[in-house]
Amino acid sequence: MIRLALEMLIGDRVKALGLMLGVAFTAFLVTFAAGYFAGFMTNGFALITENSAADVWVMDPAVMSVEATINVTDAALNRVRAVPGVARAWPMLLADVEARFPNGRFQTFQLVGLDDVTLAGLPDSASPDVAARLRTPDAVVVASGGTSGKLGTPAQLRDQWPYDGAHLNVPLRPLAAGDQVLVNGLRVRVAAQARVLERFPPRPLMYTGIANARRLLPPERQRPTFVLVRARDGVSSRQLAQRIERQTGLRARPRDAFKADTVRWYLVNSEDVGDMTAMLMLAMVVGFGVAGIMLYMFSYENLRQYAVFKAMGASGRQLVGMVLAQAGGVAVLATGIGLGLCSLAGSAVAASGHPFRMLWFAPVLGAGGVLLISLTAALISVRPLLKLSPGEVFAGR
Amino acid sequence: MAVVCQGLTKQYGHGSNTFQALRGLDLTVATGELVMLVGPSGCGKTTLVSILSAVIEPDAGECRVLGQDLIAMTPDEKTRFRRTHVGFVFQTFNLLPALSLAENVAVPLFIAGRHRRTALAAAEQLLDRVGLAGRADAKPGELSGGQQQRVAIARALVHGPSLVVCDEPTSNLDHRNGQEMMKLLRDTALAANRTVIVVTHDPRILGYADRVVHMDDGRIVTAPAPSSSERVGG
Ligand SMILES: Nc1ncnc2c1ncn2[C@@H]1O[C@H](COP(=O)(O)OP(=O)(O)OP(=O)(O)O)[C@@H](O)[C@H]1O
Ligand SMILES: [Mg+2]
Repeated sequence: MIRLALEMLIGDRVKALGLMLGVAFTAFLVTFAAGYFAGFMTNGFALITENSAADVWVMDPAVMSVEATINVTDAALNRVRAVPGVARAWPMLLADVEARFPNGRFQTFQLVGLDDVTLAGLPDSASPDVAARLRTPDAVVVASGGTSGKLGTPAQLRDQWPYDGAHLNVPLRPLAAGDQVLVNGLRVRVAAQARVLERFPPRPLMYTGIANARRLLPPERQRPTFVLVRARDGVSSRQLAQRIERQTGLRARPRDAFKADTVRWYLVNSEDVGDMTAMLMLAMVVGFGVAGIMLYMFSYENLRQYAVFKAMGASGRQLVGMVLAQAGGVAVLATGIGLGLCSLAGSAVAASGHPFRMLWFAPVLGAGGVLLISLTAALISVRPLLKLSPGEVFAGR
Repeated sequence: MAVVCQGLTKQYGHGSNTFQALRGLDLTVATGELVMLVGPSGCGKTTLVSILSAVIEPDAGECRVLGQDLIAMTPDEKTRFRRTHVGFVFQTFNLLPALSLAENVAVPLFIAGRHRRTALAAAEQLLDRVGLAGRADAKPGELSGGQQQRVAIARALVHGPSLVVCDEPTSNLDHRNGQEMMKLLRDTALAANRTVIVVTHDPRILGYADRVVHMDDGRIVTAPAPSSSERVGG
């Protein structure tokens, strides 16, 4: 009977194809939307990803994400180091700074102050040579952080540090090693432009040692934002975080929990993300609605054929099995097509620099959602079928 | 006796919008008999054969078919009764367009849970008997109306039912095809242990009946006893 159901499905080629495309489109839409969302969120906690050496992040108790921060006291570092189970602890400082380019243009950067000793968290693509250069007092590594055209410095010498006012509309080239910019009126030297994980929201980044960062910042900004902790071997991040919280009164989060915190913070606090989520929801509701209605109509139009089966003595269970087989067949095939398209489109989109990440939950959402909606629609369309009087097939009524 | 019914009543609709389709109908059909039901439109013919084939229930009355009490059956028992004992031929053929002829004919066997291969083999045999040898893989859409109704007859017989119910089987066929269809029905369907009930409007095929039962307004108006009937046709 299952086989008959599938043959009936395939036999009605036009309808089956339309149905398949509709459901595949939904699977694609939902997965793609979820992948895009995952991409944004992954970019949102890029700083945490970048500092993979840190098992636990310690912060002011009011800080809920890596995006909105306030600094801790200088003493926090030593207090964290005193907690048993901490193998290593080092500071990180975040601040927003205005940088002025040689032609007078200015640009906001996120300044990332790294531990002077290890420079842990310096982007991987920065070579050891760059690390060495970064140890000189006024050196920084810059990165676009997902922006484009924001790191332009004047290409020609006559537009640099002019005496006749700003030269704003002049040819630009990307910042490179050896260039100079002013941060809070102080000169910094670009050691390199690095490629780093894109940020959400995108922003230009400036990495430097924490001592240099302190030199550039006003006094109240000079304290560390995070204390990053490496756990001793055999100590779980979760337990260590709890111990740090108990002993220091600071907030301490294992790396993955802090990522989750950050995503949650975006969902609750960011209007941009709120709008995005609403759009995604809309896409899903529309997609699921369309798929559900199409499947329902397919079953409904076959009602008469099922009535024939019913008159000839097919049991309710057989009929439900047939409808579910049809819905399931469509859903599985269509999900395959949809996900296939999605990973193609996704890699194309990701290659062109968009924040698309096929995290595990994107295909699960797409596939699971489509399967669920298909079977639900099928079950709803089975109801009239079970109530259907087999008498309906007599005499063409 | 294949069918023994007494005092059948059936009402459709509810409230003020009701229609009395059967009004105390008595009917007896002998085993191995081909009975035709005739009567004006709306007199309750379809309603009657639906009850006899355990598709719908009467409101009141007694009804024994093939020795079983239909009134006492649960819905599941009725489903099983239809599956094993009843063959159906509908006015609009009701073949499944996506399936091959052999699969269409084998549907009752599939429903009964028979193996695909044996079911299809049995179906092909019946296709041979209704004159469609070698067309097992064709689709219903490739056939004429007369040929489709032959497939429907094969489907109604494939599981060896004891009762075959046909509701206006010839009304979508022209005269010649109608005659051939009835001839086929008499030749292949009728057997010593199989009873055939045909609802029809078509006076030209009445000659194929063992007995013609006239209905009007929810009742039988003339129904000579099975013994006094005169065999005609086939
Ligand atoms: N499901 C139903 N709901 C309401 N009324 C019905 C229903 N089925 C049949 N009827 C009515 O019951 C009456 C008898 O119907 P039935 O189909 O048994 O007549 P019939 O003799 O087969 O007619 P025809 O020759 O036109 O097929 C008709 O008036 C019909 O309108
Ligand atoms: Mg009728």
